[in-house]
Amino acid sequence: MGENIFTGIAESLRAFLYGAGVPPLASELIVLIVKLLAVIIFVSLNVVWLVYMERKIAAYIQCRIGPNRVGPKGLLQTVADVVKLLAKEIIIPRRVDKVVYLAAPILVFVPPMLAFAVIPWGDGMAPIDLNIGVFYILAVGSLSTIIFWMGGWSSNNKYSLVGGMRVVAQMVSYELPLVLSLLGVIMLTGTLSITEIVNAQRGTWFIFAQPLAFLIYFIAGVSEVNRVPFDLVEGESEIIAGPYTEYSGMAYAMYMLAEYGNMMVISCMCTIMFLGGWLAPFGWTFLPSWFWFFIKVYLMIFIFMWIRWTYPRIRVDQLLGFGWKVLVPLSLANIFVTGVGMYIYRAIGW
Amino acid sequence: MFGQGLLKGLAITWKELFTRKVTVQYPEEKIPLPERYHGRFELDVDKCIACGLCANACPNKVIQITREKVGKKQYLTRYVMRIEYCMFCGFCVESCNKGALRFSHVINMNQYFRDKVRLVLVDRPVPEVLPEEEPAKAADGSPAETRGKTARAEVAAGKAPGKEG
Repeated sequence: MGENIFTGIAESLRAFLYGAGVPPLASELIVLIVKLLAVIIFVSLNVVWLVYMERKIAAYIQCRIGPNRVGPKGLLQTVADVVKLLAKEIIIPRRVDKVVYLAAPILVFVPPMLAFAVIPWGDGMAPIDLNIGVFYILAVGSLSTIIFWMGGWSSNNKYSLVGGMRVVAQMVSYELPLVLSLLGVIMLTGTLSITEIVNAQRGTWFIFAQPLAFLIYFIAGVSEVNRVPFDLVEGESEIIAGPYTEYSGMAYAMYMLAEYGNMMVISCMCTIMFLGGWLAPFGWTFLPSWFWFFIKVYLMIFIFMWIRWTYPRIRVDQLLGFGWKVLVPLSLANIFVTGVGMYIYRAIGW
Repeated sequence: MFGQGLLKGLAITWKELFTRKVTVQYPEEKIPLPERYHGRFELDVDKCIACGLCANACPNKVIQITREKVGKKQYLTRYVMRIEYCMFCGFCVESCNKGALRFSHVINMNQYFRDKVRLVLVDRPVPEVLPEEEPAKAADGSPAETRGKTARAEVAAGKAPGKEG
């Protein structure tokens, strides 16, 4: 039921273009552009929704009601905020590095968008099915560090500089366990293709085969997207807003929205690598595969938000100590144990 | 176990997620005001004897009373509270022997202009003769006088003339 809505649309578009006599290469290109546009629109809408969801969850955890004035149940609150911010001036302080300063908020949405291009939103619904998808996402995901750093460096502000420094320190320390934790899954499946990794989870999801890797990936992921308890980059009470301090209007909003975009990337990766991607649990295939994917991603996002409104921020030394002294050794140990386990399984021929 | 506190914290926030929300959506819902709430003042002008005890009791010199002698009695012509200086301590209400000055439950006294903030509780002309001294005259009073009476009643209800309660 509804399983083939999106693939069906793509197929009918392709058939229509074939019927209209468009050469195959051009028609493939058009279909690809339509797919990517659909993903971009879907992600943008999601990001707008996530800001609202975050505020609602925060309010509910704090026994408040949250935004409920703009639109039904406050649903248009983020839209109103975005419209307001669009109308505001983007202040460029004196002696900032103008080109870099303005390029950073424009570029900040690029890494998550690039990552979304290879994510399979359902069975056979990856816009681009790369055979090195995991590698690509990891490579693209770490690009955001540079963009935050660009913003922090060019702002000509001490807080921004400290924030930028922290982004680099934090992302370098946590990128390592993030990647190493995925290595266990890649060893088990022997492939970097996202589709094949999801298909390999038909028997058991890798959260059960690699629980430690999941935990490490999740913690490192929280840190990668600069969310509480690892939000030292922004840490309002210490350094105003970190690299975003000098930004105003839509430039600032772009950073905020990109944060949610990055959060979605990490949630999608959690879903793909550990929660069985689009596969239905217990064979409950009455819901279409893309819907299962959606549910799992939103479950992960909810956990992100839940954690954000529960824990306080940790100190810088704790952050780096935890990253290098706990997460990296644990992920290395996980790889070792996985390797030994695989060798034993192969030896006993199970 | 390491990390037990983290789970405990998550459990608490999970519980709070579903507890009843305490927010009261102000303009639509209102918390009932307590009986002795210090809201806007109202003056029962017929009970007031213009003694001036309230004005004396006021620490901020908020109350300005104008009175005239009509016959043998004091007659209150104007009772103005410079409410922008009032701190709602309630000394004036306590000091009123006749129970004429009271607190109402009106809480929105906000105005767009500063000169409109002033609370005029009574503003009336001096009659030639007091009505209780010569009831016969008041009975066949002119229509203008009855109009004055309704205006007075409105003032007594705690509404400043021409203002939204």
